[in-house]
Amino acid sequence: MEELGKIHQLIVPVFGHEMAFNIEVIIMTWIVIAALIVFAVFATRKRGVVPGKTQVMGELFVTQLYALTIDALDERLGRKFAPMICALFMFLVISDSLGIIPHLEEPTKDLNVPLSLGIMGFVIAHYCGIREKGIKKYIKEYMEPFIIMLPLNIIGELAKVISVSFRLFGNIMGGSIIILVVSHLIYNLVLPPFLCFFFGLFIGTIQAFVFTMLTIVYIAVQVK
Amino acid sequence: MAIEGTDLIQASAFLGAGLAMGLGAIGPGIGEGMAASKACEAIGKNPSEAGLLTRTMLVGQAVSESTGIYALVVALLLLFVV
Repeated sequence: MEELGKIHQLIVPVFGHEMAFNIEVIIMTWIVIAALIVFAVFATRKRGVVPGKTQVMGELFVTQLYALTIDALDERLGRKFAPMICALFMFLVISDSLGIIPHLEEPTKDLNVPLSLGIMGFVIAHYCGIREKGIKKYIKEYMEPFIIMLPLNIIGELAKVISVSFRLFGNIMGGSIIILVVSHLIYNLVLPPFLCFFFGLFIGTIQAFVFTMLTIVYIAVQVK
Repeated sequence: MAIEGTDLIQASAFLGAGLAMGLGAIGPGIGEGMAASKACEAIGKNPSEAGLLTRTMLVGQAVSESTGIYALVVALLLLFVV
């Protein structure tokens, strides 16, 4: 129980300020990225009309997510954003279910990762909204229905980032704490595999899907 | 041993964490149950659309769960930060 809530940080002084790096999160993110690259290499190495096992998985991911994005946005924008959505979903699925392997931790357990992904989605959505509608119409949307609603609309936009990133963080963090507490209660005699599979695979996949879906919806709201 | 101010703060933080989690879990529980019951009705009426209905139900439940997750985050803050 002692390791609960503790993180290893590398603190580097830069011009009088201190920069803190969460080492474990960085290493786990690298592991996820390496796993994605290995998966991509194996999925595209021997391409053929009769696909192999990994190629089927890759094709499944890509076709489903392309269909989802093109449904929510239109044909042109959907094709533009679908690679980003695919990358986001696959990164989140692997990083949420990384905890089922012993000695590895989910990178999304740290608030920095979901918050940065949420801010990325926010910036992309607003940049695309400005490009599609023009700056005048974009600013006018904040004055709907009256000009008095301006601060409320701005807070509403910022709350989207907070809600989407805290949802992912809270689910993964809560699951890992429950696994830790249960394995402490039974003195680590038996690894609780069912809890690991429930929180890691089931909840992790659903939350990754929800995060991706909400990012698409936020982009679609800004574009229309 | 006298009770000091820090003990009081610690005790109220633990109490607040328990209350936040317990009260905050009521709403998502009721809401997700209602979503699941409606999805069951819809699947009973239209079994061929079961996959789409289940997917929509899971996404809606995960979104409505977020208030419970906020309660969890507040409880964790009270437990470990205060």
